[in-house]
Amino acid sequence: MITPLVVVLGSLGTGALILALRRFVVPLALAGATLSFLAAIATFTQVQMTDSRVLQLPGLPSFPFLLLADARASLLAMVVATVNLLVVIYAAGYMTDERDQARFFAELALFTGAMQILLLAGDWILFITAWEVIALASYLLIGFWFERSGVKEAATRAFLVTRGADLGLYSGAIILSMEAGTTRIDDTLRLGGTAALVAGVALLIAAIGKAAQVPLQGWLQDAMVGPTPVSALLHAATLVVAGVVLLLRVFPLLSPSVLLLVGLVGGVTALITGLTAVSQRDFKRLLASSTSSQLGFMFLAIGAGWPGAALFHLVTNAAIKSSLFLGAGIYQHTRGSTRFDALRGVGRRHRWVYAALAVAGLSLAGIPPLAGFWSKDAVFAATLTGRHAAIFSLFAVTGAVLTGVYVARALRLLWRGPDTDERSDREQRISGLTWMAVGFGWLVVLAAVLGLAEPVLERRLGVTVPQRAAALLLGLLAALLGLVAGWLRPADYWLRRLRPVAERGFRVGDGLIDVAVRPSLALARSCDIFDRGIHDFVLSTGHGALRLALGARFLDDGIHRVVDGIGALGLALAGLTRRSDEVGIERLILALVSAVRTLGGRARQLQTGLIYRELLLASVGALAILLVVVLTY
Amino acid sequence: MVPLVSIMVFLPLAGALVLVALRGASPRQAHLVGLIASGLTLLAALGIWMRGVDGGFAQVEEVAWIPSLGAAYRVGVDGVSLPLVLLTGVLFVAALLFSLKMDERVGAYVALFLLLETACLGVFVALDLVLFYVFWEVTLVAMYFIIAGWGHEDRQRAALTFFLYTLLGSLPLLLAILSLYLGSQPHTFDMRALIAAPPLAGLTATLTLVALLIAFAVKTPVFPFHTWLPAAHVEAPTAGSVVLAGVLLKLGTYGLIRFALQMTPDALRSAAPVVAVFAVFSALYGAFVALAQTDLKRMVAYTSVNHMGYVVLAVAVAAAASREVVRSVALDGAVLQMVSHGIVTGALFLLVGMLQDRAATRDMAQFGGLLRVTPVLGWFFIMAAFASLGLPGLAHFPAEFQIFLGTFGVWPIALVVLLGILITAGLYLRAIQATFLGAVPDRWLTMPGLTRSDIWSVAPLLVLTLVIGIAPWWLLDLIHATVERITS
Repeated sequence: MITPLVVVLGSLGTGALILALRRFVVPLALAGATLSFLAAIATFTQVQMTDSRVLQLPGLPSFPFLLLADARASLLAMVVATVNLLVVIYAAGYMTDERDQARFFAELALFTGAMQILLLAGDWILFITAWEVIALASYLLIGFWFERSGVKEAATRAFLVTRGADLGLYSGAIILSMEAGTTRIDDTLRLGGTAALVAGVALLIAAIGKAAQVPLQGWLQDAMVGPTPVSALLHAATLVVAGVVLLLRVFPLLSPSVLLLVGLVGGVTALITGLTAVSQRDFKRLLASSTSSQLGFMFLAIGAGWPGAALFHLVTNAAIKSSLFLGAGIYQHTRGSTRFDALRGVGRRHRWVYAALAVAGLSLAGIPPLAGFWSKDAVFAATLTGRHAAIFSLFAVTGAVLTGVYVARALRLLWRGPDTDERSDREQRISGLTWMAVGFGWLVVLAAVLGLAEPVLERRLGVTVPQRAAALLLGLLAALLGLVAGWLRPADYWLRRLRPVAERGFRVGDGLIDVAVRPSLALARSCDIFDRGIHDFVLSTGHGALRLALGARFLDDGIHRVVDGIGALGLALAGLTRRSDEVGIERLILALVSAVRTLGGRARQLQTGLIYRELLLASVGALAILLVVVLTY
Repeated sequence: MVPLVSIMVFLPLAGALVLVALRGASPRQAHLVGLIASGLTLLAALGIWMRGVDGGFAQVEEVAWIPSLGAAYRVGVDGVSLPLVLLTGVLFVAALLFSLKMDERVGAYVALFLLLETACLGVFVALDLVLFYVFWEVTLVAMYFIIAGWGHEDRQRAALTFFLYTLLGSLPLLLAILSLYLGSQPHTFDMRALIAAPPLAGLTATLTLVALLIAFAVKTPVFPFHTWLPAAHVEAPTAGSVVLAGVLLKLGTYGLIRFALQMTPDALRSAAPVVAVFAVFSALYGAFVALAQTDLKRMVAYTSVNHMGYVVLAVAVAAAASREVVRSVALDGAVLQMVSHGIVTGALFLLVGMLQDRAATRDMAQFGGLLRVTPVLGWFFIMAAFASLGLPGLAHFPAEFQIFLGTFGVWPIALVVLLGILITAGLYLRAIQATFLGAVPDRWLTMPGLTRSDIWSVAPLLVLTLVIGIAPWWLLDLIHATVERITS
């Protein structure tokens, strides 16, 4: 059980070390990522198909924390560790000129470490912990350049939208844990009936938020303001992937009706965000929409009842999507922007990068023999089975055509465009290019060849990846159709009047702001006004009552007489009790009297008559106790 | 056996008396006396912890006083009170460390804080009703003087509010105490006896419970008795706010467990749904009102209404649940939540106070981008804010999650209270965004960073926040041993 722990601590430990030392930042980050990577490989080779390893921590009373490395968890841990290592290598170049490197790499380590805990979590509490820490890390990383305009809003939005959806995770986990009497995830999945149905829907909501599916897809677009290596990690291996990981994890729990819902959400998302991607004017925003759309394919496969296909698509997309972002980041350094109008023709200047991007892009579109072809084929085959084959496969085909269109469109915009002579002087030498090329290059290689992972999945994980000749053909046709269409005609030609709507991500009005934020703020303001109302009411009635009871003059200068009165009363009482042989009471009363007098005397110097009232009250209370005691004695 | 509990309770008072004796002490000397007294008190509290608590009342110290009346000096700790005692010890040291720059009538200021510490510790360890009531009243007096003497502009109004609510809160407590005393056979003020054999039944029990609920609802505070809280916080000096939110609010929920749950259990079981409705409403209402605030201190004050609402809900759950595991998970959560809230909110008030000292305003609209100017203050605030919004891995999460688990076990519908964690997320992110992110307005460019005493006062609280969040078991084991006895 030591290697899974090293996977986690390799990240978290270096993060802490970087923050503590604030020196040797890049070497430390590289060392931590490498360590985590090696440990992940070791774990994967150790864990056999039926075997899983468990580490138990005390946790909460009767709910221990569990780390559990089974075949699927260790495979995903390896994927995450690999992408993380290559992204860290890339970031070593990308962040060369950044002054706050320590913060960046520490936050990156927190991000990856939390994702690894999520994959290895064996109980719901640890799972939620990792899930939310991932959200925190992405908040910090999206907000990395917090002084720039638009950044703080994007970070806040990403965290709030996902947290809203997380209420589903909380509810689902609480329902399952209390019904099953344990927080151990695998044991809670055996539940059935209403609890399973309600929990399933609740968990689906959480997955939708995290994986940026319709209707919660908008935040992912804005999250692009973070540094590009973060985008690569966030889209390929950590944040959004967590949504799919959740569904894969709880698959045995999901009833047919919930699965139908999963499939529909995925299908609609593949369609809607595919259109959004076609309409984008910014390379990174196009890629962001594409992420939602590809995750939609995974939802479709799960909804069709084939988690194996979703897992396969997840693995290939980890390489494809991260390599595309890293390529975009290199161009960003060249031209200082990721908008297509700034990037036009950049492909002709940096042909190697362009060629690599093209490989990753074609893999995404699903052109054989690249990885994306095989995994998309698996998703297609999945949608062709089951009761909802007609509707699910229609979503899949349309989504695949759209993928072809936006890939071809991006490649065209990067290649064509005005002659770049006047731009060339603006194109400076890219600092840190070597590091970036290494990370980028390896990911492109993976994006090309990861189709070979399929037999490994089947052999080591025991999952079935569906295959069909019809799916193969259908997928290829859809991809080619999309590519040709996208290459020949611009977005306006295909989208026409739909374009402005698509570009805004099909938001209605101000989107979430209209739906949730404004009403909440309005409610908050009414509550505040109401609250001030209560306060004033209490004050005025209280004040009135006091006036009535005590008289205004009494309030101001008469109270010390009452204090004296208490003193006299106390003395009398003490005299009364002298008859008894209990010296305690007498002493207590005398002490109280003198205390009231001295405090009263001091208070006079300090402040107003209010203090007397306070003292009066305290001593009246104590006297009342005494009176009762004496009377009942 | 050294009477460590009594030593701990009266150590701060001894410090206060030293200060009264040394009337002409310089500010430096006064601060030194305060730090030594509160530091030794913390050490004594740790010593009590080291000695161990087995679940029941341990380390009981008893001095006969009026035997025929059943009144005596009785103190002791269990797994519910000891965490709060430790919290009190930590927060008073933090508050006095923060106050080191204070130079206005320092002797009286420190003496009042020490008096307040004795009173708070006394309430937590008292095992006799008379003793409990005396300490309870002294906390009010001491806090009153702190606000009135060292508060901000509008102390008159705050003082009046404080007075009115105190009136509302103390008298019912007094009546309830008398009712418990008169109901017991033979008459006794011994809380252990009253817990072992709850004396009341029927209407008397219900009326007593109502009195207790009102008294503790004011203190906790629960809607609609909460409006004194923001008013008092806005006027109180920073260190006063730390103690007010961190310790004094816990007196209410501690009383709820000690009296309502333990001494009138049957009455509370039948009243639990009503209490739960108030608690859920209070938690959500507090969150929404907090969302409307632009004054950082008022905002943090209202989040206390939210967080303490969860505690009250958990006590109601513990009273109503039929399954033992549900009762204990809720009560574990309630006690841990009190500690977490004390530490996290204490840290937040300290940080807002530091900001106020530097900017002379607490209006978040005036700020922006301060993370670049005072990064340590900014990162501390971000961490404390995320803890307060319930991020897992930080102190509030294990407590709140247990409370939610228990709640679902009794009233699934009450899970609507989960909305609270979304609203608090929204309000803290907005505060962070407005205060610390974005571009810096020119006038704040020269804002000085934190001093060493600033960092020393708040950093230990943040470390505790992280430790409780990551490894809650070191505290929960202590709590759970007692909770098991209460709930079985």
